[in-house]
Amino acid sequence: MSKNYLEIKNVNFKAGGKNKVKNVSFNIENKGDIICLLGPSGVGKTTILRTIAGLEKIQSGTIKLKDNILSSAKSHVEPEDRNISLSFQENSLFPHYTIEKNIYLGTERKNLKNKKKINPKKIIKLLNIGKILDKFPHQISAGEAQRASLARSLVTQPDLLLLDEPLSNVDQSFKEEIQVQLKKILKDLKITTIVVTHDSYEAFYLGNKCGLILDEKLKQFDDPYNVYHFPNSIEVVNFLNRGILIPAKVTGENSLENIDLGIIKGNFIKHYPKGSNVQLLLQPEDLEHDDKSNLKLEVIDRKFRGTNFIYTLKTKNELHVPVFVHSHHVHQHEVDEKFGIKRPIYIDHIVCF
Amino acid sequence: MKVNFWYSGSLIVSIIVAIPILTVFSSFFENTSNYFEILKNTFLIEYIINSLFLLLGVLFFTFILGIGCAYLVSFYNFPGSNFFKWALILSFAVPPYIYAYSLTAFFENYGTAFTILKSVFGDGDYNKSIPKFDGMLGAILSVSFSLFGYVYILTRASFYYQSQNLIELGKNLGFSKFKSLTSIILPSARPAIVAGLSLVAMETLSDFGTVSFFGINTLTTAIYNSWIAFDDLAFANQLSFYLLIFILALFILENFSRKKAKYHSPAKGGFKHKEKINLIGTKSFLAFLACSLVLFFSFIFPLSQMLYWTIIFPKNFFDLNTQQLFMNTILLVSLSSLVLIIFSFISNYGNRVSRSKFLNILTIFSVSGYAIPGVILAVAFITFVAWFDNEVVNFFEFKSIKKFFIGSILGLVLVYFVRFYSLACNGLRSGYEKINRSIDESAYLIGYSKLKTFLNIHVPYLRNSVLLVAILVSLEVIRELPITLILRPFNFETFATTAYIFASQDLLEAAAVPSLFLILIASFFILLTSKYILRDDNE
Repeated sequence: MSKNYLEIKNVNFKAGGKNKVKNVSFNIENKGDIICLLGPSGVGKTTILRTIAGLEKIQSGTIKLKDNILSSAKSHVEPEDRNISLSFQENSLFPHYTIEKNIYLGTERKNLKNKKKINPKKIIKLLNIGKILDKFPHQISAGEAQRASLARSLVTQPDLLLLDEPLSNVDQSFKEEIQVQLKKILKDLKITTIVVTHDSYEAFYLGNKCGLILDEKLKQFDDPYNVYHFPNSIEVVNFLNRGILIPAKVTGENSLENIDLGIIKGNFIKHYPKGSNVQLLLQPEDLEHDDKSNLKLEVIDRKFRGTNFIYTLKTKNELHVPVFVHSHHVHQHEVDEKFGIKRPIYIDHIVCF
Repeated sequence: MKVNFWYSGSLIVSIIVAIPILTVFSSFFENTSNYFEILKNTFLIEYIINSLFLLLGVLFFTFILGIGCAYLVSFYNFPGSNFFKWALILSFAVPPYIYAYSLTAFFENYGTAFTILKSVFGDGDYNKSIPKFDGMLGAILSVSFSLFGYVYILTRASFYYQSQNLIELGKNLGFSKFKSLTSIILPSARPAIVAGLSLVAMETLSDFGTVSFFGINTLTTAIYNSWIAFDDLAFANQLSFYLLIFILALFILENFSRKKAKYHSPAKGGFKHKEKINLIGTKSFLAFLACSLVLFFSFIFPLSQMLYWTIIFPKNFFDLNTQQLFMNTILLVSLSSLVLIIFSFISNYGNRVSRSKFLNILTIFSVSGYAIPGVILAVAFITFVAWFDNEVVNFFEFKSIKKFFIGSILGLVLVYFVRFYSLACNGLRSGYEKINRSIDESAYLIGYSKLKTFLNIHVPYLRNSVLLVAILVSLEVIRELPITLILRPFNFETFATTAYIFASQDLLEAAAVPSLFLILIASFFILLTSKYILRDDNE
């Protein structure tokens, strides 16, 4: 018997007869784990969810839940017999029922009888949709419809919950609060969940693990920290868009050199022979502001992000380097001014390609 | 592809509907009698010219009437504008052949017009001064007043959705009202206008009652005659084939134009409703007069004529077994609606669940039955039953099945089914298009089977569409003439066939009673549907 709760092995995910994501394998080890799938629009994230839910069939590989085969080339358990719930990105509430009826329909599921029941009222309160219960789907906003749909999925107490961009229409001010509450309830009820999102922060917060779907492949499946700090490919770096790759030459066990920034020290996560030419991942938090430093770069852009600023600096060789600075730090440099970078540059974990 | 109940059901429905259409096409390769040679050398060209002349005349009048009325009620406020908005669709209650009876009855020698003049001005030779609307002109007017509603409804809907921004743009460019109409309003509504005119064209080419009443020989009457007078089914089918090609071309045009219309429909955001212009003084009176005249000539005139005759010849009313005719009509209406709704549901849901491209193409083909004139369908149906009986039933030495299908309620309902399948199927489909597929999938994911999803989600949600389809089918069945005339059981009459039989025997006064009942019942159904037909929102 396999120890994995959900096991996906060598599956080609197809939609409309076309391959969307090829040869995907990943596991969810424990009941109650949350997995986030990240990737650009149209890459096939939703197709993966639909296939796991049984709405699409597979021609190769296997999908197993609690050691039962749900999908393979030979067998296919119908969606209604899977006890998997999918909350769609678009409004999928039954238009002729009120929101309350829509949510309570989820409690009618056959195999709920032997389970500890979730109190729908608790979910309704959590998702702050008490005021819209007697309304019909066409009378509520997209964000409210998404939360109502999420509530319906939660009350079905599925063996596996699939959430497709669950908070994409929710107001930013309310989003973080719901993320916190959602994570809490999923953990409390031990509902195993796969969340599809294009928001990396949402994925890093909610997920025990994150999978990155790029170029028809599952490029990386790892802890959120590792995905961010130890991306395993240039494609992942480009997708996360949280740093740049600059040319550098390995000068020793713990150092390399860039023609504009000079010597950079730190810990390589992978060994490179001395003298190798590499692409170094430089993330905004890797450089520190220091106007006393003799390494001065020209400011070409400054973005205010509330808690911090992101400066974009230009080197002599036209590299555009991002630098993160706290909001309250004294650094009021305007565009075209010079911005000092602290030396020596030290990067805790050096990622090169 | 998994073959299941829904897929098989949908497939069977589409095949049944496609059989008469295929029969017409297959007839092209059969031998015909000498009638073809005779006709080719004598009247065929005349038939074709008559059909085209009728078509062009009707298109001209329906264009003027339909667009004119739609423009007035959509862009202007004048006394009764809201009343005219829905009252003008009452013209649908008067089939062209009944309009023809009224027209003749009023203007004929010693007809109603004569009686009125005599009662007002005393005795006189008024017959010479009363214009005669018979022959081609009578047919064009009868069909036009009866069918302009198609152009009116579709154009009005299109005008309604024209954004205020578009109108304001015209003003901003310094356009006069007429220039705005010709440069902005009409071009924007072009797909709807073409769609309306295509429907009118199909109905005109299918018309049998009016042209046969006025004694005009068209392709449709030629088909009927080749079957009735010369007993040449193969040639009737071949003529049908030519007419069908012509109608299919129009059908494709209409379909193409509808797609464009959809493309031009406004997005929810950014749509700004028009503010109607308040007409005052002479302009207001003229607008009121124009709409009143159209309403009068299209509905009140034929209704009054039939009512007048019913009152002055009460014997006709008492001689007619109206109760039986009513029961017969209701029986046909109920059976047809029930059968059409059930099978259209199966077909639509089968298509939805299976997502089969083959099934989808077959359905598109089978809904073209609406474009086929009733006469052709009836003849094709008889051809197919005869072939099946001779070739298949005889081969297995079973008892003949002809009596079950020809001259029976079953056969009649079956051909109604083919004729009006498009109406029912498309009616439900447009309802289905509003149900996102993720709704079905959500139902499966909360444990609903396909049947439970169908019964608990689709059927309740589509109840308004079902009601609308049922009423529209009823309206068509009540007005339908050629299929009923050809396939009805012995001694089984409806209001439509009774009116036709009296009229064809020159007993127009007697035709008034069934015609009046037909108009009243049809008006009742139209009033029931008016809120759907004229709805002004996106629901």
